[in-house]
Amino acid sequence: MAIQPGDEVPPWVMEDVLASRMRTMAAILRDPYPVHWDRSVVAGMGLGERTINQGPLGLSYMVNMLHAWAGEGCLRRLVMRFPAPVFEGDHITARGRVTAVREENGEQLIDCDVWLEREGTAPPLEGSATIAFAGN
Amino acid sequence: MTSEAMPSEEDIQALVGHEFPGGRYTIAHWENFLLTDCTGSGQLADGMVHPVALFHVPILGAGTSIGEMFKLGQAGPGVSIGIESYDWEFYRPLREETEYDISGRVSAAERKRTDTRLYDRIQFQFDLHDQGEHVARSTVTWHYRR
Repeated sequence: MAIQPGDEVPPWVMEDVLASRMRTMAAILRDPYPVHWDRSVVAGMGLGERTINQGPLGLSYMVNMLHAWAGEGCLRRLVMRFPAPVFEGDHITARGRVTAVREENGEQLIDCDVWLEREGTAPPLEGSATIAFAGN
Repeated sequence: MTSEAMPSEEDIQALVGHEFPGGRYTIAHWENFLLTDCTGSGQLADGMVHPVALFHVPILGAGTSIGEMFKLGQAGPGVSIGIESYDWEFYRPLREETEYDISGRVSAAERKRTDTRLYDRIQFQFDLHDQGEHVARSTVTWHYRR
């Protein structure tokens, strides 16, 4: 597969960010921050009536996109920034674009810009990823 | 949080170098299954752990917790925590039922002021090893808004 800078990573869609998944995630993470499971706390902060997705969950949508494209185990590095929250009920699309193809220690690595897209807002998450196609 | 309760700048800077106890962590199948399900992905093949585990596994395995990390930065009920970045490096995929040796520390801590915000930027770094081999590193940078 000839991959070049500028190539688009096939997008991955989270149709509906579910509050129930945030609650399960909070239990697994032992995360006491109530914005992930108590709507009244979010409302008290003036951020609306919807719970806020855990940062790692938003990040996981990028991972799922990269897995679907390059295979499980492809991820070498992921650096993410979080300019804005993702809320329950959001429709989110993970997107990416190749910025470089290089070789390191005999392995072909692909650098990508990655971000989450939400209609009508700036990207709530953005960053960069380095992957190696599984089997390389 | 009131100004009386805000930690001093020196208190925040003194966090640099703080080491968590360290320890071991094994990712059970049930944990990976539920975690992967939360991401909206199908289950991964051959006992591979979803990479999103690199958030909580190092924290818990190093002998700390998200709650303790909040307390280290003296985040009371009125303090909101914002994420600056997560930097995850994988040298090998994580696997279920593998016992990882995990260490963690505060790698940076400083007070920041902008025209509109006052916050403490605290960075935590965690390393996972499997029988001496470096498997992954997680660097978590949070903002404790004052």
